Amino acid sequence: MDQPRTDDDQALVARAQSGDAAAFDDLVVKYSPRLYGLIYNMTSNHEDTNDMLQDVFAKAYRAIKGFRGKSSFYTWIHTIAVNMTLNFLKKRGRRYHLSLDDVDVSIQNDKEFIELTSTSSPVREADLAELQRRLNEAMMKLSDEHRAVVTMFHIQGMPHAEISKILGVSEGTVRSRLFYANRQLQNYLDEFRKNPVG
Amino acid sequence: MDNFDENEIGKLLRLKKFEQPPPGYFENFLHEFHRRQRDELLRQPVWSVLWQRLSDSLFRLNIPSLTSYPAAVAAVLVCAAVISVKVYQAPSSAGDAMVDTSTLPSNESVIDQMPSQRVADYFTLSSSLPTRRLGPDLSRQMNESAYTHRATTPPRYVLDRLPVSYEPSFNF
Repeated sequence: MDQPRTDDDQALVARAQSGDAAAFDDLVVKYSPRLYGLIYNMTSNHEDTNDMLQDVFAKAYRAIKGFRGKSSFYTWIHTIAVNMTLNFLKKRGRRYHLSLDDVDVSIQNDKEFIELTSTSSPVREADLAELQRRLNEAMMKLSDEHRAVVTMFHIQGMPHAEISKILGVSEGTVRSRLFYANRQLQNYLDEFRKNPVG
Repeated sequence: MDNFDENEIGKLLRLKKFEQPPPGYFENFLHEFHRRQRDELLRQPVWSVLWQRLSDSLFRLNIPSLTSYPAAVAAVLVCAAVISVKVYQAPSSAGDAMVDTSTLPSNESVIDQMPSQRVADYFTLSSSLPTRRLGPDLSRQMNESAYTHRATTPPRYVLDRLPVSYEPSFNF
């Protein structure tokens, strides 16, 4: 996912801080698709994602006057979203179980997805929906912190430095979490490939 | 047998960006956001709304930026303090003329306390001008007794028998 242009954010933030609600609306419109993807891939649930995203922007609206611009608005709003989602996941605990209803059917019709699964030998024989379900399951087996790193790096396409700013950890920690998460995903999907029906 | 390597996992995960909410979701998201904001505002107590508006108005004044000019702010505060002290002291000096009327003797009691001979001396035509003889103490007390009368008793109105214009200039 391409990074949104952040050079316009400063003016919008300044206007929002002076009470211009329309400026904040512009920020909501600009960042809601990207934050939706971030939260959804951490929660794997559309309804939770919707509620979380509303709460994230509500919190940002209340706190926008205190935003001093030490980081970019992009980093700031992502930090709010990640922290709130991690807190939500801790409260939700392990009672959540991935359901087939949560598997998104739109991806199966995606051109890039079909191309990848038809040319890539490990997944050629796999059923597309099953592969996606397994991938989501593998994601949910990761810890919340590891899933956040995987989501931001692989799905959102953020660089390590940006992720470290958002999470408030060093780049080394980000790389370490990413390495560990990749290993876990790899093991889980290899297991699926060896035993597709399992 | 091929295994999933890191690149392939990365490719599969990148495809998850296509997992999007139903069509029209983001169009309605902003309306939903506004609706929730209104609901939240209605749930807030009045004092909270007032406090928020007050803080907003203070924020517009940009009070935190004043800390960048400590000398100027200190000078303004000192001037304000001096002016307020002056304003506070001005009515108190004027108020010195106002005495506690409850402690003052009435006009009749002052005369009663005087010896009878002395009273007669004061109010005979042969004596010198009473204003010279009264002295500062008595005149002050009489003035104050008049003030006391106005302050402590309701005003009395005397209706004259004739209009003022019909009275002769000198009536002996």
